[in-house]
Amino acid sequence: MADTALRALAFLCALSGMSWVALAMESHWGQVREASTYKVAVAGRLRFVGAAALLASFAVGLRVDHASMASLVWIMSSSASALIVAITLAYRPRWLAWWVGGPRV
Amino acid sequence: MFNSFRVAMTWVHTWLGLVLGFVLVVVFFFGSLSVFDREIDRWAIPETRFEPQPLPSFDTMLRPIFERIEPEAEELENARERVGQALPTNLRLMNWSAYTTHRDPVLTLYAEYAVPNPQDPDDHVHGHVTIDPRNGQLLSHDQLALGSEFFYPMHISLHLHWLDLGYWIVGIAALAMLIALVSGVVIHKKIFREFFTFRPHKQGQRTKLDLHNLTGVVALPFHVMFPLTGLVIFAGIYFPVAETMLKPLADKHEQIEAREKGLPHERSGISAPLASVDAMVVEAKRRWARRGMPGEVGYLAVNHVGDRSGYVTIYRAGSDRVTLVGQAINFEAATGRVLYEEPPPTVISGIAEFLTGLHLQHFQHWLLRWLYVFGGLSGCVCIATGLVFFVGKRKQKHAAQGIQGARWVDALAITSVTGPVLATLGILIANRCLPADLANRGTWQEGLFGASWLIALAHAALRSAPVRQARIAPAWREQCCAITVLAGTAVVMNWITTGDHLARTIARGYWPVAGVDLALLGTAGVALIAAHRLRRQEAGSRDEAPLNAAPFAEEATHG
Repeated sequence: MADTALRALAFLCALSGMSWVALAMESHWGQVREASTYKVAVAGRLRFVGAAALLASFAVGLRVDHASMASLVWIMSSSASALIVAITLAYRPRWLAWWVGGPRV
Repeated sequence: MFNSFRVAMTWVHTWLGLVLGFVLVVVFFFGSLSVFDREIDRWAIPETRFEPQPLPSFDTMLRPIFERIEPEAEELENARERVGQALPTNLRLMNWSAYTTHRDPVLTLYAEYAVPNPQDPDDHVHGHVTIDPRNGQLLSHDQLALGSEFFYPMHISLHLHWLDLGYWIVGIAALAMLIALVSGVVIHKKIFREFFTFRPHKQGQRTKLDLHNLTGVVALPFHVMFPLTGLVIFAGIYFPVAETMLKPLADKHEQIEAREKGLPHERSGISAPLASVDAMVVEAKRRWARRGMPGEVGYLAVNHVGDRSGYVTIYRAGSDRVTLVGQAINFEAATGRVLYEEPPPTVISGIAEFLTGLHLQHFQHWLLRWLYVFGGLSGCVCIATGLVFFVGKRKQKHAAQGIQGARWVDALAITSVTGPVLATLGILIANRCLPADLANRGTWQEGLFGASWLIALAHAALRSAPVRQARIAPAWREQCCAITVLAGTAVVMNWITTGDHLARTIARGYWPVAGVDLALLGTAGVALIAAHRLRRQEAGSRDEAPLNAAPFAEEATHG
């Protein structure tokens, strides 16, 4: 059970990481928030937090699986997360607002 | 010929993708099914629907069964033709082996028998039985394990056995995939900027191209690693030097390696009894635990059975590692004394084992298995959207010129995208509907698989005619509808013929069967949505002037 929870956490980290990396791009930021609120400094921070979350995903994976297995899980989780983020941006972009402080009315 | 490197790569990407895309989408689809081959086996053979078991006692259960195994009649007939004379009734026994996984409740035992007076000194024939490891009961041979014996071979060889043609076609397709990936990355102008881009509401070809790029790029590591590791696994077929030019060297290497390990390469010709293999299993487990990696037996082999040179090799099951099996411990068969304990793999062999295990995925990690299915289906979507894009880009022009090229490419795309799904559903339904006592039941199922696919081909050829007027082929929608109906039928037939409906299998927690049923229902749902959207698009394309060749300027650099 603890293993399942850790794997879920690792996947959530990958999903969050990909969300932040996507939102660091001006075009995707504009899908979630007003394009005029995009700032280069914020984008840089989002990129940094996104990369940290992706690394955290790998670190959590290492706690539950052998390194060879954890590396595969991390690569595939990151791929699946990127696809989920892309599909969410296409159909429900506002959902990703929760990764940048929640929706603004 | 080409103005720039990128244009040249576009040409390579387009035409390699077109020629081998039909094969690749089939290979990716059946590869995705093969991730759960043992679970599909459980769905297809209801009497094997029980939990996986550890390796039973060799001494009390397996040994008597091994001793009763007979060589396969078909292999004997082929061996007779090879040596050009009748074979004796009792062939000399060479080896026994048993392979077990954490996913397979049944256990298959294999035996090898020497062929007398052979042209090739290693010539031998096989025998095998499948048992219920709970009680040692033999299971019928006339049961086609759809996952491991049909879908998996389809993935690796397309069931084209003549001159190993299937392996070669799949290998060439894998190589083409690697080239297509490299050329695809070169021609993708905005690979990072459009990493997360998918615009489903755009007009024209943009949506297809977005989906092609998205599924190709996000799963790029998977798309690169799997064709590459597939080629590595079958390198022995593509470069059979150890069996041809360098055979003497390979044989000598085998002998020296065996001598260095202290493992007898040849039989002594002197009979000897077999000590307790169960005791050897206990000792092997103790040694694995001492090395900080406790585990179960994955593969057990008795070499040179009944001979004083005989030895028993016990491999650890690699269910917690990417590598397949390993850490073998070899025992002298007559005494149970340890002859050789394999050291941890070197860096090179560790990489080779990792690459092999990565593709063959015998590990126990359900999340990673599902992620592999995601990777495989992403590959299918990537290739399918590439084919659809190819047709979409040319059909206006071909319609204006009266050329049928786009129509036939579309028909083949339908046959290779929805066709395998229909054929798979056909064989699943046949598996549940054909009488249990039908002679050659497995052959009938395979025949119905082929027939379903041929019907899909004929239907696609007939119902793609509107592409000549630059419209959408109704065959896509109609085959999606057929998938919806057949997938639902397969679930219902499983319920009717076995009583295992979803409520029961989920309540029991029997996920191999519940998972297949849920996947079938998911497939039915996706196909229904696809059919609905295709109907809307067809209506839209009918409303447009058929030959209003709207320029596709935005896609001009692709395909």
